[in-house]
This record gives sequence, C-alpha cells and structure tokens, in this order.
Amino acid sequence: MRRLPVYLMLDTSGSMYGEPIEAVKNGVSVLLSALKSDPYALETAYISVITFSSDVKQIVPLTEINSVNEPSLSAGGCTELGKALEVVSDCIDREVVKSSSEQKGDWKPMVFIMTDGEPTDNIKLGLDRFKKTKTGIVVACAAGTAANTDVLKEITENVVSLASTDSESIKAFFKWVSASISTGSQKIENSGQESSGMDDLPPPPDEINIVV
Amino acid sequence: MSKSNIVSLTALDGTKIQFEEAKCNEKGAMKAVYFSPDKSYVVGFFRKEQDRNSRERLEKIIDTYAKQLFEKDGGENLKKLFCWPTHIVEWDHNGIHKLGVVAPTYRSNFFFSGGKYKGLEKEGKWFASSKLRNKMLEDDQKGTWLSYLQICIKIARAVKRMHAAGLAHSDLSYKNVLVDPLKGDACIIDIDGLVVPGKFPPDVVGTPDFIAPEVLETVSLPKEDPKKKVPSILTDRHALAVLIYMYLLYRHPLRGGMVCDPDDSAKDEELSMGSQALFIEHPVDKRNRPKIQNLDKFELPQGDVTKLPYTLCGPFLSVLFEKAFIDGLHDPSKRPSADDWEKALIKTVDLIQPCQNPQCREKYFVFDNTKKPKCPFCGTPYKGELPILNFYYRPRPTESFRYENYRLMVFSKQSLYKWHIDKNIHPNEKLSDADKKPVGDFHLHNGKWILINRAMEELYDVSDANNHKKIAIGTSVPLTEGRKILFGKDPSSRLCVVQIVSN
Repeated sequence: MRRLPVYLMLDTSGSMYGEPIEAVKNGVSVLLSALKSDPYALETAYISVITFSSDVKQIVPLTEINSVNEPSLSAGGCTELGKALEVVSDCIDREVVKSSSEQKGDWKPMVFIMTDGEPTDNIKLGLDRFKKTKTGIVVACAAGTAANTDVLKEITENVVSLASTDSESIKAFFKWVSASISTGSQKIENSGQESSGMDDLPPPPDEINIVV
Repeated sequence: MSKSNIVSLTALDGTKIQFEEAKCNEKGAMKAVYFSPDKSYVVGFFRKEQDRNSRERLEKIIDTYAKQLFEKDGGENLKKLFCWPTHIVEWDHNGIHKLGVVAPTYRSNFFFSGGKYKGLEKEGKWFASSKLRNKMLEDDQKGTWLSYLQICIKIARAVKRMHAAGLAHSDLSYKNVLVDPLKGDACIIDIDGLVVPGKFPPDVVGTPDFIAPEVLETVSLPKEDPKKKVPSILTDRHALAVLIYMYLLYRHPLRGGMVCDPDDSAKDEELSMGSQALFIEHPVDKRNRPKIQNLDKFELPQGDVTKLPYTLCGPFLSVLFEKAFIDGLHDPSKRPSADDWEKALIKTVDLIQPCQNPQCREKYFVFDNTKKPKCPFCGTPYKGELPILNFYYRPRPTESFRYENYRLMVFSKQSLYKWHIDKNIHPNEKLSDADKKPVGDFHLHNGKWILINRAMEELYDVSDANNHKKIAIGTSVPLTEGRKILFGKDPSSRLCVVQIVSN
C-alpha cells in the first residue's frame, strides 16, 4: 500500500512564544485527533514533525498516524527556516519509499510549513536543496496576521492563511490536499507540470484563505 | 433550549421545516448541516451558490425521481436503503441567500455505538480496508462475513432500482454508503449528485478506487470531446463491483504489484486505475499479482490472493467478478448489472455454512462444493454430515423437473423460506411480510438431519415415485442421501434432491 507521507514543519522560534505557539500546538493536536478518526488518513497517512528555531529537529520521524504521539513544543530562539528546508529534504530522501519497477513507492510527500514568517537565516541554500527534492503539494500556512507571506511565496506558490486553527478547518484542509494527490493531480501530471498550482486542485473549502 | 435559536422555514412544497441554528455540524465540505429540534431530519445548506441546473435537479430528486423509485412495487422497503432528500428550503441568513435540502437523519445503527470511534458515522471505508480491520477496529464492531453478503445485497438492490428508474448515482463509493456490519444493513447517502443521462450531467468524476477505467483514461479530454467518458449507469456498475469485491475480500481488485510508471506515483496511479488497469487475480495475465513481501503485515492475510482468492465467494459471485474485472473492465457493456449482483448474492447466501471454529474471524463461509469442505478464512475443516438441497423446477407446468443450479446448504436451526420452495417468489424488496415468514426449519436431531414442516400445506416425500408420502404441518422428514422432497402442487413449486456430504 502506498503511504502518504506528510511533513509538518513548525516554527518554534521566540517570536512564536505565547499565544502563537499555543495556537500551533492546538493545530497539531486537532490535526492528529481529526486524522486518527478519519479512516482514509488512518489507512495511508504517515506524519513527521520538524521544528525550527535556533536549531532544527525532526521531533517525530515519519510515523503511521495512529502511532503518533502529540509532540511537546516550546518556543524560543531564532527562525532557521533555511536550515529547516535542508533538514526536511534530507528526511524525505531517507524516509520516503521510491518507486522501482518492482515496487510501488509512496505518494509524493506533502509538506506543510506553519510559521509566523520571518526567517533569521539565509534561506537560499536550503531553498535550492528543497526545490531539488521530489515533493507533492507544498503548502505554507501563515499562522496569524504577522506572517510574512512574501518569503513563503518563494518556497511555494501555495500560500494560505488560516483564520482559525480549529479541528474542522485543518481536517477540511487535509482532506482537500489528500484528494488533490489522488485525483486532482492527474490534470497537473497530464499537462506535464510537476508543481501544483492552486487552480489545478479541487476548490478548497471555505475555512482556507488563499494568499495571492 | 430557548425557542429563539430555532429557525422555521417553509419548504417549496409548503411543509414547515425547523432546525436549531446553534447546532450546526460544519464538518461537510459541501454543506453546513443543522438538526431539526426532534432530530428526525437534518437540513443541509450548500456552501456554494447552486446554479439553475443543480437546483432543477434537486427539485426532480425530491419529487419526480422519488416517485419513480418509491411509489412502485416494493417502494416502501426500498426507502430504508436510501437517505433520500425530502424537501428544498431557502434561507436568508446574515445577508446571504442559502439553498438547503432536508433529508432524514441516519438511523442510529449507522453510528459506532461504543469503542474508540464511538459516535462516528459507519462510513463503508472502515470495513473495506484490511489495515483498518486488522489494526484499528474493535472485533465487536466487525460483524460476520454473512453480514457483508447482506450489506452487498442491500447496496446492489438500491443501485438496481436507481438504474431501473434511469438514474445513475455517479459517485458510488464507500464514502457514500453507510454500512452496519452488526445488522447487515446499508444505506446510500449523498444523492444530490444524481446523474440523469441527457438531462443532468455529472458534477464529479467520482472517488478514487471507484472511478471506472474509461473515465480516468479520458479525464484530460475537453468536455466537448465525444471520446470523453463521464459517470453513467455503466460506470456505476464498475463502482458496484469494486464495492462488493472490497466488502467480501477486504482488498482492492485493481491495486496489485504492477508498476506502470516507476518515476511518478500520480502517473502510475492514473495508469493502473485507468488505461492499464488489470485485475489482481487475472487467471492468465499475472503481472498485477500483489507482492506479499511489499505488503504491510496488517494488510495480511487479506492481501494474499493465493490464500484467499475471489473464488472463496462461491460459484455465482466468481462468475460476476470475472465479468466485471476481466471481460468488462475495459468493455463497459460486459459489466454485470446491479440486478445480476443481487441475484448472485442471494443465491450465495444459501450456500453459506457457519464455521465450526468459534475463534474464526469471519464466522461463516461459502461451502466450496468439494468432498472436504473447509473454512477458507481459518482453514477449519467441516466435521460431520452436511445436507445439501439441490433444487429442481418445472419450466412449464406440463414439463418434467429440471436442475436449476440452485442449492441450499443446510445448517442447524436454519430456516426454509417461501423463496426456496416456489420459483415465482424472490427475496427482494417486493417480498410481502407474509412471505418473509419461514415455512420450515432444519435440525440435527439425535445425530440425524431433519426438516420440520411449519407452514407448508402440501409437502411430500416423493422418493418413491409410486408412493408420495404427505408430510403434515408439525411433522418432519429426514434428510438422507437421494431423498426427493416436493414442496407443493403448484406449477411454480420446487422439488429438491438431498445430497449428503460426510466428513
């Protein structure tokens, strides 16, 4: 069975201290509990969590959704987004099963980046490395109104903001991306484009604001 | 509960519709759903504005199409198989004009009553995936293999009647069918997207796993292209076959080991479900056989087609699986109809035996008609004597009896019904309550099998052609090798010849 790898990259820098980190914790928590009661996600989704502040850590290696425990998150330090993009690329290379003529590989990994959007390092190196990595849909979520969407736009054209991080918004969001990989992406594949623009995907639910 | 948060609207047909504004279930992607104060119905308001075509379709669904389906013979029994919309309402709320549909609340048995998933809807997916069955679901929620045959009968019956009325569901999948394996119950939901050929085109291509190969193959063609295939009754037939295969075998008939494109998983998916689709159990072309070494341990044993081949579903269903996934996979006109499936499933129920192993996870199996019957799921051989009734019928009143490839496997305390003894009676939605009552029952009495006559006025032991012995109501006839039993004097009455398998 093909797995659907999902990489959550979470900003835990000092600027996230207080209410924002609590919102992200809440976001992860509701995401996990929603997915653990979704038969589709339980069957195929595997989750990894990578946090970035002064340091970048993969705090949850790619794990079947039912076995993922809520990671403990605390905020402090700077926002090494560039380093985080390198780390996620390494993880994808190592953990995602590639197809061969003998075996069906995993789906292309989905990457969610949640940040308040002001990297403190130079993201150039990490960005180049990330762009060379085979990914499916990459969605950058601007958490809160202070997020710098311009930087996120360099990483992916799919930048969204969530006005609310309630379980229904995130589940609706996840379902939308998941459905996109199985069916909606056919259109993209047929037109020969690897990257996925929002227009080629099924329409997102109302909970999600698209940043253009 | 204060009265203020109850909204009252008048449906287009004048019916008063009420719902509690505060209790909105925001879960649905398409609609926001509200419960009526007595929870007997729900009102779902579309999130997006509906165009004239969708609106007209909804009006037809609640009126014309409902009448076509439910005001015919057996319509009342059919109602339970659908969650059919009943009214349309309009609501001006916060400056937005919203269109809503009213539908009955799902019956309580379609929600998990306990365990980890208490309160969740019993979406079919939970029960059709080996991983979810083996790893996530609690044993007391899974039901028996017999209950899945009953679920499939209900789904096939519902689809049969839709198709007979000229309607295609267009997005038949385990998402749009609720099932209850504890009661063998099923209900088709989300009917707003019905397709009527030439009138209402489909909104969607369908759900992955259930999209017909020809639809996937032509998905990138523009709408106007005559070669483009869209959901229809023929694609519903593919989806129905996949559903039945998945509920009985807990794996997907086309997801095997074949890799169509090693470089691109999405392209591979499109090919292996579309133009290159190949049955994983194709008898000759074995390229798509699942590779056991690549399966997760929780996908086994169900993922192993050598251990649990489709033929364990018995002769009637095997033929249909072959038609659906070999002959008809790329030739839609050869796919079995929903009616074919319903009939084959019903005949298969009569081949069922309870497994003698109390630990068996499936509890029932189809008798495999060999000399040494054993449960395919747990391997336990059947021990003891097993009577089989082989049925015969008269094509015309004056002709002699002919074998009709119809059998009943007997087990203890099993009932005999009118549809067994009279070829004009079928156990479908048209069956009257009187005809649902058993007419006899089978028992293993002091080591001998007997049939007790409960309600058959004219039951005869005709083993001796010259001496027909009447079996009165309340008395019994022994079931021994070669015994011939005549179930009545009507032209449609059946005859059976008893066969005994001894192990």
